[in-house]
Amino acid sequence: MNAKDPYYIDFPARIKSIQKEMQAQKLDVYLGSRLRTLSWTLDAFCPWRSFVVIPAEGLPSAFTFVIDAARVADDSWLDEEHVLGFAPMGGQDQIEQIADFIADLSKGGKGRLGIESGMSNYLPEGWLTHYEYQQFSGALPGMELVNAHGIIDRLALIKDEGTINRFREASRIVDIGHKAVKAALQNGGWKGMTETEIAGLAAYAMRKAGSEWEWSFTGGNEIASGYRTGLAGGACTPATRRELREGDSLMVDIHAMFKLGLGDHSHNYFIGRATDRQRWHAKNFVDIVDLTLKTYRAGISPSKLAEQMMNFAEERGFADYMVPGFEHGIGMMGDEWRIGMNDGPFPYWTNPDHVYRENEVIICAMQYACPGEDIGFRYENPIVLRKNGCEIMSRFPLTVDEIV
Amino acid sequence: MANHVKYLSSEWRDEAGRLLRENLSPEKMNNVTTSMSNIYQNCPDGKDRFLFIGFTDGALSDIQVGEGEPPKAEFRIAGDYETFAKISRAELGAQKALMTGKLKLKGNMVKALKLASLADRVNKIFATIDAQY
Repeated sequence: MNAKDPYYIDFPARIKSIQKEMQAQKLDVYLGSRLRTLSWTLDAFCPWRSFVVIPAEGLPSAFTFVIDAARVADDSWLDEEHVLGFAPMGGQDQIEQIADFIADLSKGGKGRLGIESGMSNYLPEGWLTHYEYQQFSGALPGMELVNAHGIIDRLALIKDEGTINRFREASRIVDIGHKAVKAALQNGGWKGMTETEIAGLAAYAMRKAGSEWEWSFTGGNEIASGYRTGLAGGACTPATRRELREGDSLMVDIHAMFKLGLGDHSHNYFIGRATDRQRWHAKNFVDIVDLTLKTYRAGISPSKLAEQMMNFAEERGFADYMVPGFEHGIGMMGDEWRIGMNDGPFPYWTNPDHVYRENEVIICAMQYACPGEDIGFRYENPIVLRKNGCEIMSRFPLTVDEIV
Repeated sequence: MANHVKYLSSEWRDEAGRLLRENLSPEKMNNVTTSMSNIYQNCPDGKDRFLFIGFTDGALSDIQVGEGEPPKAEFRIAGDYETFAKISRAELGAQKALMTGKLKLKGNMVKALKLASLADRVNKIFATIDAQY
């Protein structure tokens, strides 16, 4: 990729920055297995179990299921000599192949091997499994396996311009999906429409605009209508076959991917003319989202922001309906849960006292749910933290639209 | 064709080379440039042997047999002498031997997949040699 391309990322420089950290931690080889690590180092989506082996010097090598290795090599900045396939064949299974490769790199199989071990709420995280750990330990008896995922976490925290531009483009595509959904709902189009159909028509519009897929493991495009919008604390709503009904609230939370940059924006509707009570809920939601977006900036922390927002909700009398969280982490594909480093009071959860820095990207995320009235709204939008505020990536207007 | 040449002997190598050149044109070998070392472990005399074959632009450019460490090759396949003998006698498929772990391949698996049908063609030629195992 040309360095002048707006989506250019200097991957060789990323590898060198990892190698510098490896040297500081006296690691001879780094074995990455998390999806976030693979995306961040390879610039390719790796849906199958995959690994990246980073030597002390020189280019990394990727290992993935052989049926997908040629495609990964085609997508990646690495050439096919550095993207290898494993298969259930003698000498070619992932443990033997990778262990042999590491042994060759580490001069006789001695030294320190960085691995990625931990836990996550995000199922496809890709930590080294207990079995893999045992097998690699057995195959590399001269190597000490050292947990080292903090290297990638730290380096990936602040986003470069190419990454931010990929997020901007993914968000622009998401907005196209929202326009398509809104157009389809209007003029009685919502009648007989199901949540899955809305998910699909958003996907079609976004794919036409260049999205690679609806990347979220929560079911692609998350659509909820009626009582499902108001599920207590419910911030995960894979679409169902439920048909829209007059009086429903409707959450349209859609996802696009552009070069591993992720778009994630939720827009909300009422089907039919809303009641005064529904409008009261909607105004609460829009006002707190607006205030949250005005409050986010470098220097603030998740706990400080949450405290301010919950005080606002309390003053306005809708704190009972707010889920007291206002963000989730985001990065290139596979990096979708906690904010920042693993340095909080609960291991592998967001540190509530993490102080945001300039050019961190997070998803501003909040959920308003009133189960007793079958009403709920969701807001999600990637934002870039700036010194005096934040850049909002998805530009679809912040409203709760009445579809009459 | 020579009668009852000893498998992996210099006579077998010469016969194998002659047959490969006669029967596998560069086009049939997809004009490939590659090399492969077969490591035969536990030969009947207790030694380890190798067969090295190299193709340049689809033409056989090198074929060697010997003891000890083979020349460096793009692919290295190791296994028991008897496993290779079964493949050369067409009693066992090379792919099945790999998939059951009887043979171990070292090299780029993606490239190996591209070359699998070519390796089969080579093995089929070897199977025509009236060899003594």
